[in-house]
Amino acid sequence: MSSDEADKRRRLGRVLAVAFVAALVLGPGPGLRLINPDVNDSGAVYTIFGLPKVYAWGLFWYGVELAIILTAYYKVWRPDGEASESAGNEEESHG
Amino acid sequence: MGDPNAEAGALGGLPYVVLAGYLLMLLAFGVAGWRRSTDSEEDYYLAGRGQGWLVSSLTIMATFFSSFALLGAPGMVYRDGVVFALFSLNVPLAGASVYFFGAKIRRVGQARGYVTPGDMIADYYGSPTALRLLVALIGVLYAIPYVVMQIKAGGILSQQMFPGESSFEIGAIVLSIITMVYIMIGGMRSVAWTDVVQGVLLMGGMLIGGLAVVATLGGPGPFFDKVSELPPKSLSVPGTSGFWNPEMLLTVCLFGSIGSLVQPAQWMRFYAARSTGTLRRSALIFGVVLTACFLFGVMLVGLGGQVLYPLVDAAGEYYTNADGKLLPNPAVGDTPGAFNDIMVVVLKERLPALLGSFGAVLASLIMVAIMAAAMSTADSNLHSMSAVLTRDIYDRFLRPKASQKERTWVGRGIISLATIVSTLLVIVAHRSEVDPLAMIATLGLFAIAFSSQLLPVTFDMLYFRKGTRQGAVAGMITGLAIVFFISPFMSLDLGQGIADMRKAMLGMIDKGAWGLIGNVLVFVVVSKFTQPIDQAKIDEFAKVADAD
Repeated sequence: MSSDEADKRRRLGRVLAVAFVAALVLGPGPGLRLINPDVNDSGAVYTIFGLPKVYAWGLFWYGVELAIILTAYYKVWRPDGEASESAGNEEESHG
Repeated sequence: MGDPNAEAGALGGLPYVVLAGYLLMLLAFGVAGWRRSTDSEEDYYLAGRGQGWLVSSLTIMATFFSSFALLGAPGMVYRDGVVFALFSLNVPLAGASVYFFGAKIRRVGQARGYVTPGDMIADYYGSPTALRLLVALIGVLYAIPYVVMQIKAGGILSQQMFPGESSFEIGAIVLSIITMVYIMIGGMRSVAWTDVVQGVLLMGGMLIGGLAVVATLGGPGPFFDKVSELPPKSLSVPGTSGFWNPEMLLTVCLFGSIGSLVQPAQWMRFYAARSTGTLRRSALIFGVVLTACFLFGVMLVGLGGQVLYPLVDAAGEYYTNADGKLLPNPAVGDTPGAFNDIMVVVLKERLPALLGSFGAVLASLIMVAIMAAAMSTADSNLHSMSAVLTRDIYDRFLRPKASQKERTWVGRGIISLATIVSTLLVIVAHRSEVDPLAMIATLGLFAIAFSSQLLPVTFDMLYFRKGTRQGAVAGMITGLAIVFFISPFMSLDLGQGIADMRKAMLGMIDKGAWGLIGNVLVFVVVSKFTQPIDQAKIDEFAKVADAD
């Protein structure tokens, strides 16, 4: 891999890391306050698209986290060793 | 809970057949693991460092999820509502951590022949005594509560599946003996292979449980229509009990994931992986598949549970006990700990009614999946605790010249002793007034708080490389002391002011976070003023760790 490519990969890795932290802070963190219905408000709306708002919020951020992980998998995490990869244990029988 | 005999009748003799088949299969895996093993320590503890992606991903996942995944998590959603479903978002972070930490730990471990976390940490910081002992202490503090919790969960499940005078004791003993036997004979190879079966059962159980509840309520549309009519507290933050404020949820998510990923059993799974590519795939499978099992599976059991077994009476008042603590619907249980029973109650009472004998088969399988969740966590922790005590204590301080064969047998002895003591503890505790939810959830969260104290040195070794030996020791001691201070382990009467402060700390953010704040601050400050690690040593370490 050229040093340009390595730099690009590192930069993308940093961007994804920041995006992941943001997804955590917004998803199950203080960002919840943006959509949380106020139980003391008689007119509060608890659902969106037929789903509880809080649950829908979780699904959305799951989608974001998923996209980040998939991008990292294909673009940042190096697949070295993949060629010799198999599913189970090495055959090392000593019965 | 309803009439136990009626419940047992709903499933007939199926649970016995399914459970017996499952336990026999585990023993077969134990024997198969033993037939492929050698007498070397590396083989017993790391399966010869040859685990492929399927075994690695499933053993990492099965170790990560305890009985909490199938009992505690739906119980929390049943109690607190939809807010706890967002706890699922800790799983993608855990998945990413498998690569983030695991890839570097594996490279260095393979190159230098490390077996336990203490091997790497003590070597890097040049602290063969203090840091090794501290890391071993953390390993034991993590493993013991987890092992005890899982054995206890096995007893509880047995009580639910086969109601009877001594069913709790029999369940706890059977779970612990079978687990002990296959770890002792086959080591990591048997543990990992049984984890593959247990991991598949666990994920299947999580998804089928959720689907069953959705089907019981008429499908996704009617399910969410009925969920939308739940009390406002069940549909908002901080939930019915008021505990899950966003900061608490975030910090529990953070420490529930990365704190669990640096505990010794996982660390050893990173060492055991065949390649970086193995861990890369494991990270993807973990983050994507397991989160879905939570969000679309087991969390829906808790929500559906609130519809089927409401938390409020006809007058709209929450069921509470004399202390004002929330209680589940009387049909589920009459103690605060009985929220954990929601999965089992739904399975036994609804699935056979919905799907007839096929439903009874599914319910039995999910019950076995709960047992699998408990066993897969217990086995990994017993196995890693044996490695830690043998490598980090026996080998270093008691008998440095012991042969590998001797050390492996000492490890087996530790496994049997720890299993017997834990089982006795669980059985004795069962005869006193112990709240099962408190056992499963509270002890589990404190265990993670302890293991989280490994995070600063882990980050430093793998990424920053600025810390010193003295900084690492001081930071770890500080972190552990803070966690002890706020934990129920330290129940000394230190006055009302201290008690109030402890309560306030526990209500704000996760306990692991408090320990970590102190740990990091002390680690950074002490490292500034103490002798740095030799640069040549750092470069040599970095060359291996960063070689991607």
